[in-house]
Amino acid sequence: MAGTAAIPKPKRGGRWSPWLFAIPALAVYVAFLVYPAVSSLFFSLTNWDGLSATYKFVGLSNYFKLPHDPVVVTAVKNNLIWTVVTIAVPTVIGLVLAIALNGKVHGKPILRLIFYTPAVLPLVSIASIWGWLYNPQYGAINSLLRAIGLDGLAQPWLGQDSTALWAVMVPAIWLRTGFPMLLYLAALQGIPNELYEAATVDGASKWQQFWHVTMPSLRPAHYIVLALSLIDSFKVFDMIYAMTYGGPGTSTQVMGTWMYFNVFQYYQAGYGTAIAVVITLVAIAVGIPYVRSQTREAS
Amino acid sequence: MITRRGFLGFTSAAALGAGLSACTGGGTSTGGGATEAASNNLRLFTYEDDSTIGLLKAQVKKFDQQNGTTTTVDSLPGSGAAVYPDKLRTELLGGKGPDVWRIWGGQIGAPFAKAKQALDLSKYYDKYGWDSKINTKAIGGMTFDGVKSGVPFISLGIGAWYNKSLFAKAGIAAPPKTYAELEAANDKLVAVGVTPCGLGGKYGWDIMRLFEYLLEHTAGPDLHDKLLTGAESWDRPEVVQAFTLFKKWQDKKWLPQGALALDPSDVEPWYVQGKTAYTITGPWTEAGAILAAKKSSSAFGNFELPTDKTPARHSGFVEGYMINARSGNADKAAALIDFILQPAAQKAMNITASTVKGAEPDPKTLPLASEWAQKYSGNPFYTIQDQAFPKKQADQYFSVQSDLLQGSVKPDAAAKKMQEIVSAWAKS
Repeated sequence: MAGTAAIPKPKRGGRWSPWLFAIPALAVYVAFLVYPAVSSLFFSLTNWDGLSATYKFVGLSNYFKLPHDPVVVTAVKNNLIWTVVTIAVPTVIGLVLAIALNGKVHGKPILRLIFYTPAVLPLVSIASIWGWLYNPQYGAINSLLRAIGLDGLAQPWLGQDSTALWAVMVPAIWLRTGFPMLLYLAALQGIPNELYEAATVDGASKWQQFWHVTMPSLRPAHYIVLALSLIDSFKVFDMIYAMTYGGPGTSTQVMGTWMYFNVFQYYQAGYGTAIAVVITLVAIAVGIPYVRSQTREAS
Repeated sequence: MITRRGFLGFTSAAALGAGLSACTGGGTSTGGGATEAASNNLRLFTYEDDSTIGLLKAQVKKFDQQNGTTTTVDSLPGSGAAVYPDKLRTELLGGKGPDVWRIWGGQIGAPFAKAKQALDLSKYYDKYGWDSKINTKAIGGMTFDGVKSGVPFISLGIGAWYNKSLFAKAGIAAPPKTYAELEAANDKLVAVGVTPCGLGGKYGWDIMRLFEYLLEHTAGPDLHDKLLTGAESWDRPEVVQAFTLFKKWQDKKWLPQGALALDPSDVEPWYVQGKTAYTITGPWTEAGAILAAKKSSSAFGNFELPTDKTPARHSGFVEGYMINARSGNADKAAALIDFILQPAAQKAMNITASTVKGAEPDPKTLPLASEWAQKYSGNPFYTIQDQAFPKKQADQYFSVQSDLLQGSVKPDAAAKKMQEIVSAWAKS
């Protein structure tokens, strides 16, 4: 055919062209991501203080220290609690909101904006706002409780072990609900109406339609929401750092903040980097299925 | 052979990992950041707050005009020693640290000297005669392993700064002279609905000022000093008594409710706003809290916390400047420090506890700081505890305080735990 004859044949070595185009991006990637990562791995095997020009190779001793560090035990426990709560609650609320906003509701654009706004606010601002709301003497939460006669429930929310972690999770949930809501909303709009019509004809109730039509159709969205939320949850740092500084005592330390304290405050960069490597390995383990699913789709 | 899927998978996973690992800074530089080669540009890093940064910049501008330099002044106010040293350290490792930086003495400044990030300033001490111009004891606070790595310009004592009208409201005629009188004053304040002592525990160091005072009261000067160096065991009755009193202050509501979570920068000015009767702080509070709030100094007063011990001591610390060991402009940086250390510059910057002779606070503009200097600055002081311990041990110590105030450990267990912390450090 004339049309195909006009297309020049690829030259020898042409199959390398895509890789050549990738070189600039790859160079940046190696310089700013791969190299620091490999450096971190190396420093986790040293006793570097993070400030001196000298350091000593100590093998895996930083890693062997981890299970014997009582703060690491607290941090891992806090990470697990944080992960479960800040994934489950925003995901469920996000799904409920998405379903509600996908229906016939007045002022849908405004409501979507309101629910998504916390997700775009700077985390430090959110931490600061909520820090004031929780202020034990002058904060709005305790003031409200006192105003309605529930003085006994007024607490130093961030100042005691029993409530501090949970108190930090509330704003985290508040700001993280918008993301699943948005994804679910987009996914809901992609479900063909015919499926619901067919289910209605078959006599399925609304609840049955939800379980047998909506939920299976949202499977890809569930996957993205859960994978990204899981990765996000395990590397939590900023909210806790800004609101409690890991306290009171070490009660709200998570692996991210404990890594920070060791690297940046205690001049134990080798040990702190070992914590970072562990966080990274966990995140990779969690991320691999997601990456594989994405590359499979791309193929 | 690398497949497309394999390549995408590898790079995506690596990006995920690298993103986290890079958060550690990676330590890509191990020797501190080199600043620009000799030029007329200098950078000074400090933690002045809004009320004083303008005064420093004005003096720096004068120096620049006289010396043909251009000095950039950056400040990170607010978090105290909890965050500022991290930012400084990150800058130094990032490849281009400041030429001059302000820092606290003791164990906060020590790591910069020991890591040789800070220049040995001996030759500049000789050149500018700082040894004869600056309080000798203060120089000791910035000398590490025999090396003069910093130039102290502030030597501060901590005491009680109070709101006169709230004391009057509670019927307190004069500042307490004994510990028993202080407790009685606290009771009177609570009785009229006023929280006595405004301190916050978010970063640990602020509420520590109360405990270290109580330890000075129960242990006395000799033992307190030995405890701070690990020369005596903390597992002893004097320490248990100090922890017992510490808990008592909270239980009797002599501290704000939920003090452990309060940010010191929020709480300290409460005595000026009339929300608490007093706080435990230094003379900088006159410029930083009273005058900044457009209040008259005459409405406030200060007194040394009564220890019932001889000699009467308060906690104290020094602050000074260090020069980047890799600065290409060390000579100009030293000249800048010498300029800032001149009595005229110190006075212009409202330095309330200068180490420089002839730079005492002006009683007309800073009457309370001047009063403090005349009454108490001659008294001996013990090293403030967050400078006495390295940061890690200080944080462990704050954690013990926190556990005690929350009731999860008893005073005797807290004393034992402190002994473990301090002895482990002393052995290392």
